Amino acid sequence: MVMRIVDLRSDTVTRPTNAMREAMASAEVDDDVLGYDPTARRLEEEMAKMMGKEAALFVPSGTMGNLICVMVHCDVRGSEVILGDTCHIHVYENGGISTIGGVHPKTIRNEEDGTMDLGAIEEAIRDPKGSTFYPSTRLICLENTHANSGGRCLSADYTDRVGEIAKRHGLKLHIDGARIFNASVALGVPVHRLVTAADSVSVCLSKGLGAPIGSVIVGSQSFIEKAKTLRKTLGGGMRQIGVLCAAALVALQENLPKLQSDHKKTKLLAEGLNKMKGIRVNVAAMETNMIFMDMEDGSRLTAEKLRKSLTEHGILVIPENSSRIRMVIHHQITASDVHYTLSCLQQAVQTIQESCQN
Amino acid sequence: MVTPVIRTVDLRSDTVTKPTESMRSAMANAEVDDDVLGSDPTAVLLEREVAEIAGKEAAMFVPSGTMGNLISVLVHCDERGSEVILGDDSHIHIYENGGVSSLGGVHPRTVKNEGDGTMEISSIEAAVRSPKGDLHYPVTKLICLENTQANCGGRCLPIEYIDKVGELAKKHGLKLHIDGARIFNASVALGVPVKRIVQAADSVSICLSKGIGAPVGSVIVGSRKFITKARWLRKTLGGGMRQIGVLCAAALVALRENVAKLEDDHKKAKILAEGLNRIERLKVNVAAVETNIIYVDLPEDPKFGAEDACKSLEVLGVLVIPQTTFRIRIVLHHQISDSDLEYVLSCFEKLSSSVPEEKV
Repeated sequence: MVMRIVDLRSDTVTRPTNAMREAMASAEVDDDVLGYDPTARRLEEEMAKMMGKEAALFVPSGTMGNLICVMVHCDVRGSEVILGDTCHIHVYENGGISTIGGVHPKTIRNEEDGTMDLGAIEEAIRDPKGSTFYPSTRLICLENTHANSGGRCLSADYTDRVGEIAKRHGLKLHIDGARIFNASVALGVPVHRLVTAADSVSVCLSKGLGAPIGSVIVGSQSFIEKAKTLRKTLGGGMRQIGVLCAAALVALQENLPKLQSDHKKTKLLAEGLNKMKGIRVNVAAMETNMIFMDMEDGSRLTAEKLRKSLTEHGILVIPENSSRIRMVIHHQITASDVHYTLSCLQQAVQTIQESCQN
Repeated sequence: MVTPVIRTVDLRSDTVTKPTESMRSAMANAEVDDDVLGSDPTAVLLEREVAEIAGKEAAMFVPSGTMGNLISVLVHCDERGSEVILGDDSHIHIYENGGVSSLGGVHPRTVKNEGDGTMEISSIEAAVRSPKGDLHYPVTKLICLENTQANCGGRCLPIEYIDKVGELAKKHGLKLHIDGARIFNASVALGVPVKRIVQAADSVSICLSKGIGAPVGSVIVGSRKFITKARWLRKTLGGGMRQIGVLCAAALVALRENVAKLEDDHKKAKILAEGLNRIERLKVNVAAVETNIIYVDLPEDPKFGAEDACKSLEVLGVLVIPQTTFRIRIVLHHQISDSDLEYVLSCFEKLSSSVPEEKV
């Protein structure tokens, strides 16, 4: 029996489209380590331009993008980076900035909207006079959109203010912009404006934009030169990457305009879920393509029970904890998939609640 | 006067190989999935195939040989204060940015590479730290070999030698990793299956993007337990890529179509080596050309070194690399034709006749 699959685990599950496959097959390539791959160069030039930065570098993953950026900014032994306590770098990147990079993290509480309190950031900056005991703060990291807060957007204004704090204290600012295009579309602000204050940004190609692999980091010429060496050291120096960059160029062309539609479908799904008995979704907080669906106390619903039931209908989701499920919309989820999800979930909720009553 | 370039013959490395039509077609049609959230089906196929070829339990695709070696060293040397024994002319030690130390915190202990790419067994044994737990010593955890050994000229390590190093490793409770970037070249040159060559190794890193011509990547092989740890480290280093089936599909074609062509590359290397050695003032140790790498030695004239030679050859469209002040490196691959060889020889002849005489 061919089951319909609705994969809402992440926007990384997007598969290359026919146009991408064609582009990959006919890509102009060369050895990007010995020299440069011409298609990679085109992609990097385009991304740098879009982001309003001097240069860009293709990397195999967002994790490597962030790792390289943190390590290049924090290139002195005993460095410290200020970042959110629920940010991706701190929670989902295997502590690499410390275990591989030797950089110490100083976390600040992430507010519900994905920001960190400006006063708290400033207070966390190490006083250089205490240098016998203190590492040296070198960098502040923001994440836009902020995933663990539900794909929340950081405004250009907030980002600029953090940038001012960084400048005032001689620090750098890095933005984990894995989903920066979602933020740009949701806020109606050009992406280069969102990252004006940043010294570097890591941007994912393989998420909502739907390319099969990779991210791009952007920054100044000298930053990217150092990043290139570090990329090689980490083992990210790949050869004929034009194959992958060709798909990414198609993604920028074809899928960037689709993000708005992802956000609309997300809102539709969120509203539908929120109407269900025992389920609560903070619809106002669903700004982009992510939903956190909470099971109310006393509802007898659990994340695991719902996940299991949804899987039986071919709907794949990720439980965040015992009473929360995360769903991520992407361009390969149709409006009909959204309605299918809602009806399957309604069924599941009713079944579980009825069975608990017996 | 600049000679117009009518063709380019790229002999800088076997990494310059471009994907073939069948690879491009395979990439376009590859079945893919998210290899981080789950597993990419084409990656699984490739990994299974390479594990089988290498005679190991499991395998894992990685973006590069550098990452393959880095992961392998770090997984074997997972204790703070670890030391790895390796050749002083090995790729890991010379061309991987010291990553095992700067990123992995592992200390290297080098042993001299002999002309044939091996390290003296007794020297390896002498380098093993003893006693363990001495206040002054790191703990030796790993020995690394490289087959074929690039800096020694693409030399093949004999199986008996590898087995002996393996025994030594076992005797001292150490692991053995083989940087097998060009292990297929060794296998073809020695006439021995890959799995026999690497039998004694706990892990091997094998390049897909060199002689066998895939666009990107390497594969590391080892026990299931080793590969599980390797997968985690790959993610940490940032090598966890999503729909990698695209790249793995090309690699499967490479394994199917291009391993057989390596014999040809070796033949061409021998022909080129002999031809170059016959040119006045150039010297090639032809007997040492076992696979696809050639070193050409120039007369030690400070006024015309390898860099100058490479520049002159570039004007003629021949791309090679200055290895040392008076040594040029040439690497053959399947996209070099017989007619390219003739052209290259004629360019070197031109070069030799234009090398400036000693000025009075």
